[in-house]
Amino acid sequence: MNKKPIATELRLAVVLVPLMAVLSVLSPRFLTLDNLTNVVWSVCLIGILSSGAIYPRITGGIDLSLGSTAALSGIVVDLFMNRMGIPWIPSILMTVVIGALVGLFNGFIVAKIKIPAFVVTMAAKTYLYGIALVVSQGAMLAILEPRPFILISTGRFLGLPNPIYIMVALAVTSQFVLRRTAFGRQVMAVGSNEVAARLSGVDPDRVRLISYTISGGTSAVGGVILASLTQQVFAAAASGIELDVMTALVIGGTSAVGGRGSVLGALIGAIMVAFIINGLNLMNIPAPFHPIVTGSVIILALLLNEGYLVPKRRTLSRA
Amino acid sequence: MTKVENGADLLLECRSITKSYSGHVVLDAVDFSVRRGEVHALVGENGAGKSTLIKIVTGATGRDSGEMVYDGTVVPMEHLRRDAEALGIAVIYQELSLIPGMTVAQNIFLGKEPLRPLTRLIDVRKMNDQARELIDRYNFPLKPTDLIDNISIAQRQLVEILKALSGKASIMIMDEPTSSLTKTEVEMLFKIIALLKSEGISVLYISHRMEEVYALSDRVTVLRDGKLVKVLDKEEISPEEIIRLMIGHKLEEKAVQHELTPKGGKVVLEVRGLTSVGKFEDLSFDLHEGEVLGIGGLVGSGRTELVRALYGADSFDAGTIRYLGKEWVPSVRKSIEGGIGFIPEERRLQGILATQSITRNIGIPNLDLIAPRGIVSVKEEDRRAARGIELLNVKPPRPEQLVGNLSGGNQQKVVLAKWLVRDLKLIFIDEPTVGIDIGAKEEIYDHIRALSARGVSVLLVSSDLPELTRLSDRVIVLRQGRFFQEFRECVLTGEKILRAASGIREGDDE
Repeated sequence: MNKKPIATELRLAVVLVPLMAVLSVLSPRFLTLDNLTNVVWSVCLIGILSSGAIYPRITGGIDLSLGSTAALSGIVVDLFMNRMGIPWIPSILMTVVIGALVGLFNGFIVAKIKIPAFVVTMAAKTYLYGIALVVSQGAMLAILEPRPFILISTGRFLGLPNPIYIMVALAVTSQFVLRRTAFGRQVMAVGSNEVAARLSGVDPDRVRLISYTISGGTSAVGGVILASLTQQVFAAAASGIELDVMTALVIGGTSAVGGRGSVLGALIGAIMVAFIINGLNLMNIPAPFHPIVTGSVIILALLLNEGYLVPKRRTLSRA
Repeated sequence: MTKVENGADLLLECRSITKSYSGHVVLDAVDFSVRRGEVHALVGENGAGKSTLIKIVTGATGRDSGEMVYDGTVVPMEHLRRDAEALGIAVIYQELSLIPGMTVAQNIFLGKEPLRPLTRLIDVRKMNDQARELIDRYNFPLKPTDLIDNISIAQRQLVEILKALSGKASIMIMDEPTSSLTKTEVEMLFKIIALLKSEGISVLYISHRMEEVYALSDRVTVLRDGKLVKVLDKEEISPEEIIRLMIGHKLEEKAVQHELTPKGGKVVLEVRGLTSVGKFEDLSFDLHEGEVLGIGGLVGSGRTELVRALYGADSFDAGTIRYLGKEWVPSVRKSIEGGIGFIPEERRLQGILATQSITRNIGIPNLDLIAPRGIVSVKEEDRRAARGIELLNVKPPRPEQLVGNLSGGNQQKVVLAKWLVRDLKLIFIDEPTVGIDIGAKEEIYDHIRALSARGVSVLLVSSDLPELTRLSDRVIVLRQGRFFQEFRECVLTGEKILRAASGIREGDDE
């Protein structure tokens, strides 16, 4: 019965292969282990953030504060571990809880006070950045300890970087929740038709609260991974990453108006975004040109997902 | 365009207007005319063709054949909204067409703002002055600088009227203008209609409220099943006569009258003194096991509000409800878990998840059964969806089909299927067959009868009189939010319901 989303994901995978082929022709360094490992890092970060950010998106909202939440989380986990001397595991858990609370607060304003999510989370992005500046005293802080914390991101297990496992675990969980739980059904229903969902026994406010809470939580996880990887934290650490996440979601077929979405699709989207940016770097195309390319890719993906570029069969499979 | 001499004082003359939608004739050679400076009411049951006729006059839809002359000008077959406006045909829309966030003056002069000669910028002061002049002329309670968001529905209607008057409207068409107004607001509207009339502007008025039609109109045109029945002159107008003409003595009289046989048995729902301020007041009734209780009344009589409150979708202010003998304060969640279903009035807006599959749509109110511990049993979900599709004969019978792409009748079947795959004791059904084809209609009727035969109680709201008469075991008619009359143990006809809904009291069995 999930024929449609699988079709979307398959189509994406089919686009991915020629993309890799083109990139490896354009730059001989593309298909090297070093380079692919590099790409994996950014895929992991975008993938982790997407697996939570997909919930508000499907309900018809958006979480633009996830970059600021991630950066703040890095600063907070450092504060707990290195300035307050709390062991690393409880520090991480507390940080994730704080991220979730930030999301809960966003969700509260969106669901109960009925202010558009775009505005609410845009404001949150700004004030969270401010809080991050205050807590870090505007400085870039290096995290050299504790060792296990650094190993979270830099270590490997069975030859693969650890964040891959974290991303896969989160994405699989998220996809499971979305596809196989009552809550996932309710998220889809609220995004599709809130009034009808309410009359069928769904509580849209509760669904929104939980959705933003999840997004806040995964943003904190992303922030911790980023801190562990780069071994430095600062207020602007993940600045702009929300746009990459939204790009991954759009490419992955999460509907811009809600009611539709797939984490697997978003992961493939994340890989494509990362590949494209990596390819541009390898070809020595100056950074200012990158947003032009990623922006165009969003439009292309939208056209493709809404069935504009593939004439016949698409409209049938949407029917 | 050619000028035509019609001799009489006719402003609008339609001859032999015919229109069909996909083979179904909705207007059959209808003649219709409006005189200069008269108030003309257009009446008929739902589906009689009133709206279609209005749409043709205002250019919202085209006609298949027939002639139209407006103010001495032959109206060509290609007649669009802007052509109608240019002719002086103005419409006060039911769903108001004003722009929120803009002022009264900005709305009145939208698209025709006075400009400063040199800069071609909007002359705000002049616009506000002109708006004030208009407002003062009619003595409306408005300020040019009021924001649309901050004024009442009645005031918004006034702005719509001013907007039309600021053009060169010679006819003002009002579609159910009083359905959302309070009593004092209605009185004000009546005064305004008289004022328009005294200025020589014709008013074409569509309403289900007989006393209004009676009080206001110079002439009444009655439509039935897409045909013109009669045009009544002032002295011929009476509510009884209008209703008689609207219902008519149809050939299929047998089908629309129905012998009521109330069911005794256990009381499933007991409602006492239920009140929701401004919506309905002091309603009391019992609903028995397996009974189909019809709720009749005009649009705005509080029927929909009543079932929404009983289901728990809206709150109420006073009164008590007992369900299965126990005190009951409804919430949607409690209702569903307690075996109560709900078919809402507007399928697209309230009933279906258009972007979701049939399976998901059927699943959503049944999550307590298919995901008892939060994890969906796909097997159970598929099983219930398959059962729903088979039970209701949904076409195409493909569970993964998106419901938004089904026909109206099949969408409504899916909405019904959501509840039929559960163990129900009671279901609230609001307008079950609006805009769906006859075949699907009959199938839905069969299901409502089958529910009742199985002992499920049904509270049925419908504006479709034959539907209400055929399905109900007993009918309660509401009027202006209050109980007006109950029909039991009698031969019920649509006419009786309509008379009661219009405020004409009579014996239960005559």
